Amino acid sequence: MTKKRWKFSFNAALFLIWLILFGFIAIKAPNFLKPNYLISVMLRNIIEIGMVALPMTLIIITGGIDLSVGNIMVLSCMLGGMAATAAGDVAAVLVTLLVGVLCGILNGLLIAKVKITPMVTTLATMYLYLGLARGITRGDSIYAYPFAAFMGNTVVLGLPIQIWLYILLAVIFVYVLSKTTLGRKIYSIGLNPNAARYAGIKTDRILIGIYALAGLICALAAFIWLGRFTSIKYDAGTNFNLKVITVVVLGGTSINGGIGDMKGTILGTLIIATLNSGLTVLNIPIDVQTIVQGAVLMIALISYAVLNERAKKKKILKVEDAKNAG
Amino acid sequence: MKTKKNFMTKEFYLFCFLVVIMLLLAVLAPGFYTLNNIMSILNSFSYILISAIGMNLIILTGNIDVSTGALISVVALACAAIGKMGVPFAGLLVAAMILGALLSTLNGLFITGLKIPAIVATLATTQIFQGVLPLTVEGSIYDLPASFTWLAFKAKIFGVVPASVLICLIVTVFFLLFTKYSRFVKKLYAIGNNRNGARLAGINVDRTVVLSYTIAGALFGITALIVATAGQRVTTTMGTGMEMTFIAAVVLGGTSSSGGSGKLIGTVIGAFILAIVAPAINFLGISPNWADAVKGAIILISVVVSASRNRKRKRVVPAGQKLQTGGGVS
Repeated sequence: MTKKRWKFSFNAALFLIWLILFGFIAIKAPNFLKPNYLISVMLRNIIEIGMVALPMTLIIITGGIDLSVGNIMVLSCMLGGMAATAAGDVAAVLVTLLVGVLCGILNGLLIAKVKITPMVTTLATMYLYLGLARGITRGDSIYAYPFAAFMGNTVVLGLPIQIWLYILLAVIFVYVLSKTTLGRKIYSIGLNPNAARYAGIKTDRILIGIYALAGLICALAAFIWLGRFTSIKYDAGTNFNLKVITVVVLGGTSINGGIGDMKGTILGTLIIATLNSGLTVLNIPIDVQTIVQGAVLMIALISYAVLNERAKKKKILKVEDAKNAG
Repeated sequence: MKTKKNFMTKEFYLFCFLVVIMLLLAVLAPGFYTLNNIMSILNSFSYILISAIGMNLIILTGNIDVSTGALISVVALACAAIGKMGVPFAGLLVAAMILGALLSTLNGLFITGLKIPAIVATLATTQIFQGVLPLTVEGSIYDLPASFTWLAFKAKIFGVVPASVLICLIVTVFFLLFTKYSRFVKKLYAIGNNRNGARLAGINVDRTVVLSYTIAGALFGITALIVATAGQRVTTTMGTGMEMTFIAAVVLGGTSSSGGSGKLIGTVIGAFILAIVAPAINFLGISPNWADAVKGAIILISVVVSASRNRKRKRVVPAGQKLQTGGGVS
């Protein structure tokens, strides 16, 4: 019984917050409600963050973290762009995806096999990928090629193509995390990695898999990103990691691992998207927006802390409860 | 729990690595050991090290602070605002340390009081610090008086050594003694090793963690002042990204990011290695664009080597390491 109630109240609370924000901004600035603005500004600007937040949720649920996502994006973007000028679009797509996956696998191997803590690993690889991107391009920008431009600027059935891609990915991720054994295994790794291993779960393989997946999604996001901005410099990925983590944490995923929900992440993405574009419409300077974002994150954290406190005692006995209390 | 002997070797290897690099530089990059270059390296070494010592205290307890960069920007701007009124260096130093300590204490209180994991709490305060800055200042504070830039331009020991090195030396020696003899630092190790154990042993965990942030904050304040006084213009993005360098220096120095182990002397060597990377690359004739990649590779190799050394010693390895948490679920 309690399980149902927690689950309901939590995502519902996030949804309510979103509705209130949305309503408030819509009343203050009617321009905001124009479908054109909602789609092409509010949703389109958050897609890359939203996409990367999906695998980041999995990573954080296993008790890990990936600080290198922004720079995987930049590095795959850069190498892809160079391949495009050298050998055309097909090569560019292959190179971008390959680089993303390889970067992710390197993270995963170091974390699962060499047993370095995720934070230190991805901190080091973050520098490494950033440095490689900077070194290889010698600090120059990379420009969009036809495929990236296609991913960034095409409209299909009234919605930009990247929104369709996001919806597809979101459905897959929600399904995998909540309805498959793989999802259960990911939770169990986060709750107790040793127990998960003794229960016969191949923790190493799953960990490497999700970090590689994060790399792949970063590469996908890289196309859209390059298409949207037409040119990208090596330092473009700075702070991207923190934005993604903000979205995930706002969505109720515990940074300690084992607790979290993909739907929460999606709601978190929507809330941040609404905040960003809504505050712009209200002519609030970008710096205040940063404060508001920080404050929202803080409030969310405090409320989770309060709820966690209540659920804590039952955490081990009733894993389900704790998970949904998020 | 690792034995003391192993700590010694870890730092010893790192030191050997540093010596090898420096010898190689002497052979391969002839212009490297000029007085000017050494002094400029020492200057960046000092401000990295001062903050890295603070960061080391925080990481020892198993917490982390990713808001340091933003905090340094705030303190640097505040110093500039005060410095514009012609306040001498001593006043600025006190102001910077107090302000840094206050802001950092705020972080500590968030983490312990609300039981938010350190990385997330400081992530949130990063955004708040960064957002507050441009509201108070438009872009930058400039035309600063000579009393403000006194530290960087006038204050040279024997006419050559920058005074920041002296500050750094005092801080380092103080903390080397402090870590060796004070009970406070023993508590930090205890908390990092076993939070609950430390609590049951009668340590006031929350207060100790907050204090570690306060002390670190004062050190961040000193760094902010050194960085700010380097020129006549202080911008709002002065400290952005610095926190990663500090964390890297600490991690490179062999402090475990999950807390409870690591020595200050390792941090000193780590900070020095990071401080010479950029100029070394420059003098080797490699494009400065590769500096970050080299930094990343050095950190990665050093943590891989120390992890594989750890694995040889321990036969049973935990199946996976969780991200270290702050106020957490203990």
